[in-house]
Amino acid sequence: MLELFIDGKPVRAEKNETVLQAAVANGISIPYFCWHPRLSVPGNCRICLVEVEDEKGGNWTDIACNMPVAEGMRVLTDSDAVRAHRKAMLQLILLNHPVDCGICDKAGECALQDYHYEYSGLRSVSRDAKVRATKFHPLSERIVLDNERCILCSRCVRFTHEISKSHALGIQERGDHSLVRAVEDGRFDADPYSDNVIDLCPVGALLSRSFLYKARVWYLQATPSVCPGCERGCTVQIWHRKPEWHLSALDPRQNTAIARVTPLENPNVNGPWICNKGRDLARIFERPRAEQAMLTGVPTELSAATAAARRLVAAAKRPVALVSSWGSNEELAAFKAHLGGRFASFVKQDCRPAPGEPLEDDLLIRPDKNPNTAGARKLFGDAAPAFRNDTDLVLVWGEGFDFARLPRGAKTIVLDAYAHPDNARADVFLPVSIQTERQGHYTNFAGVVSAFEPCFPKRASVADAERLFVSLAAAVEALA
Amino acid sequence: MSGTKLLMTFPVTATSHTLADYRARGGYRALEKALNQMKPEEVTREVTASGVLGHGGAAFPVGRKWAVVKLNDGQPHYLCCNADEGEPGTFKDRWILEHDPHLLLESMLIASYALGVRHSFVYIRGEFDLPYRRLAGAVEEAYEAGYFGERILGTDFACDVVVYRGAGSYVCGEASGLITSIEGKKGYPRNRPPRLTVHGLYQRPTVVNNVETLANVAGIIARGADAYKKVGTPKSPGTQLVSISGHINRPGVYEVEYGYPLAKFLYEDCGGILGARALKALIPGGISTKVLTGAEAESLIYDHASFAKAGSSLGSGGMIVIAEGTCMVRLLQVMLRFYHHESCGQCTPCRDGMGWLHRIIDRIVAGEGVPEDIERMQAISRANDGTTICGMGDAAGYATVAILEKFRDEFDYWIAHKRSRCDGRLEVPGHA
Amino acid sequence: MKHLIAEFEALKTRFPPGSDSSLVLPCLRRIQEERGYIAEADIDGLVDYLGVPRIQIEEVLSFYTQFRRKPIGRWHLQVCHNVSCSMRGAEPILDHLARKLGVAPGQTTPDGRFTLSTVECLGSCGTAPVVVVNDAYHENTSIEQLDAFLRSLK
Repeated sequence: MLELFIDGKPVRAEKNETVLQAAVANGISIPYFCWHPRLSVPGNCRICLVEVEDEKGGNWTDIACNMPVAEGMRVLTDSDAVRAHRKAMLQLILLNHPVDCGICDKAGECALQDYHYEYSGLRSVSRDAKVRATKFHPLSERIVLDNERCILCSRCVRFTHEISKSHALGIQERGDHSLVRAVEDGRFDADPYSDNVIDLCPVGALLSRSFLYKARVWYLQATPSVCPGCERGCTVQIWHRKPEWHLSALDPRQNTAIARVTPLENPNVNGPWICNKGRDLARIFERPRAEQAMLTGVPTELSAATAAARRLVAAAKRPVALVSSWGSNEELAAFKAHLGGRFASFVKQDCRPAPGEPLEDDLLIRPDKNPNTAGARKLFGDAAPAFRNDTDLVLVWGEGFDFARLPRGAKTIVLDAYAHPDNARADVFLPVSIQTERQGHYTNFAGVVSAFEPCFPKRASVADAERLFVSLAAAVEALA
Repeated sequence: MSGTKLLMTFPVTATSHTLADYRARGGYRALEKALNQMKPEEVTREVTASGVLGHGGAAFPVGRKWAVVKLNDGQPHYLCCNADEGEPGTFKDRWILEHDPHLLLESMLIASYALGVRHSFVYIRGEFDLPYRRLAGAVEEAYEAGYFGERILGTDFACDVVVYRGAGSYVCGEASGLITSIEGKKGYPRNRPPRLTVHGLYQRPTVVNNVETLANVAGIIARGADAYKKVGTPKSPGTQLVSISGHINRPGVYEVEYGYPLAKFLYEDCGGILGARALKALIPGGISTKVLTGAEAESLIYDHASFAKAGSSLGSGGMIVIAEGTCMVRLLQVMLRFYHHESCGQCTPCRDGMGWLHRIIDRIVAGEGVPEDIERMQAISRANDGTTICGMGDAAGYATVAILEKFRDEFDYWIAHKRSRCDGRLEVPGHA
Repeated sequence: MKHLIAEFEALKTRFPPGSDSSLVLPCLRRIQEERGYIAEADIDGLVDYLGVPRIQIEEVLSFYTQFRRKPIGRWHLQVCHNVSCSMRGAEPILDHLARKLGVAPGQTTPDGRFTLSTVECLGSCGTAPVVVVNDAYHENTSIEQLDAFLRSLK
């Protein structure tokens, strides 16, 4: 460790750090576009330039992201020279940057906007037309690229070389005709981490097609959650409309829709990244829901169905339960506490990998495509589900059960969130809430526990599994 | 005749580039001396003692660069000879490649010996045809004669050389751009730190030296540092190969001893200005050096200190002579078009700045300039001063500022009258 | 490009071990020498042979002015229009060739014989003006000399 001074303030830093790293670690703000804590240092945007005092009087300036710290060094981040430099760099970056803010998705979370207002605020002094380039270039099926907005920071390129290792992006041509492009063999489409470049892009050059024009970011709030796509359990932010920005005139489903999903930085699990499956959580959570309790397919009130289920539970002699690996730790604990004694319980892995889905890699993706197998197995062991000849009640909680495997003569209680034709075959069907409608925790494959918060209200006709388990046990406890 | 000669010491003939001719004039004896009588560190010390400066443009003391490389550090070292010669106005390294390639190769072997280099490279610009063929031919002759490969001259010293052809990019003449190009990629220059002598080619210690710089090494070893210091001036030992072009009667490559009077060189050795015109301006060492007015130039001695005092530099020795009547606005337009074309595009000030400068000067030439344009060009140049990844941005800025400062009235005139004060002429009539 | 692999293997022997990436420029140059340009199959072949990411080759092809991915005219007339050449008559030469061939710089004549380009400094300022035809430097050239050269090609 050594000590340097930034704007007169003493700061401790590791010997091999740069001035920018030391500043970031100590909450001192120096603007940057191309630098990122997880990527190599290209030093190309030139906006992080700082001034270093020299006792002999010849102060010098250089980029902070590539400046090694030195004992006793005196760095100035807000001197006249630094301010003038930042203004000049911003002028140059904005020289050809189309002022698309009014129609650009990045507005409100754009580093260029923020720095312009903080450090410059000057009008353009150019009398010459801006250099034109491709807009709406299809970088992949998921990502659209606006080359005019691009400031050529190369974060996206470096991400594909250093993190996802798809080597799928590059910069073609040279000078101010340079263009970010994907490799021509389509490899970028197959990069399961491609969408991280959207977060990395400091401006609105790289945009998600699925989010394009959906909402202004300030209409949205980000709720912390956990991706259920695999047992890695990356923490994510689920973005949805703030109550004060709910649309009254249009389809009310807009107000309970997932606008987008982004990573929630997590040093213990996923760092700042998630895979594309996590971006597409709406595809999982916004499938048609089961909203109506049923008795052998006949719609009924939730209370009536619950009562019927309760009677089945009380009467069963050899009940078997298939417990959902999508259940939260809280739900699983409630099942264990209230029904675990009655049921021979097995953990069901609700989801199998889809055809063509990446199975496992060195980065985030894990083979078990369920979020809480670990949490479930901790309570219920890892034996594979098995029925006996005398199994007379099967409680299926969650998806992924093949009804053809049901033992003959067994009654069924099914708890599920999503509409499936098989739900009508159950003796009692109880619709339950999903992750985005409640609070809870998952335990990932390495034992790390992460929390999710509710985004949307649940329908009254749908039950919370945790409370249902208490309710179903009431008769049993009464009997005992 | 422009002072003592160290390099252009023999008449150029149809065979002077061959191994036989080179040996006949004493070739490869310096290598023998180095390998048999000197330790690698001693070679570096001799080069340092000679005070020889880089001849690619930066005039950095060669020995000081070499000394950074730690011998026996357990890792490969590389030597790259910079034969990219892309600085407009410069064509002197070519003389060595075409007429004395073995001098370069012998010097590279001596340097490789001094620096612990097993694999060396000559990065030669892709456009060069005859210089490439002569050099490649010399390499094969040298291999056949056992000067490259294993057990050179019966010693433990082994060395290979690759002639690496560029493919059309000025920034590959910048040392780190050159290295990145040899790695098989776009010639993107790199930030320092780290210095290339610590992390260069494939992240290994690498020395990049200009052709002419290296060509001096054999002579320094053969005749000793003291003999070298006797030529030139105390602060600028030795000589410079000057390529002179433009409005001069006898353009070509001349070897000029440092300390030689520039006026004498221009008017006697090179035959004076075309059409007996007055000297309007001189670009001393490639377009990236600051222009001098005729009056300023004529009073100078050809050495580093003299030119620095005049606010310019010797640069790459690429002298461009500009006669009275030449339009400096059009001249700057050509230069800015060049810089815009060659910017690699990595860093903000150069990438956006070069394009902006080019568009402004084009607009001025098209008759749509405004007075603020001059300030704007100066501001863009300032924004490139010390802020870029490599020296190209700074160079373009300095060159622009110097021309604007010394020939301001021509720019003001064009903006006010929408045309050149000199009929937009770059040629001297009757002398195209 | 597969038939060139033996040549490439020979090249490798003078390079340091583990530097296959460096072979990109020399291999591309050799392939273009034969074919006149770099074809898609050449890129694929080179990716296989050298084990470099395809994007690296695509970037190199777009960055360096001498590489091309499409064929050009049989005779590539490259006129330097940098400082010294402009001071010794490059611009009239360029205008003359453009008019004579009926193409603008960057274009190829419809019969596929000539491509006209402007290039930056060729390192031959002392013999300005200079026009490079394919690989050959035509130094101290003039409109008359170039006309004579073009006539000689018929």
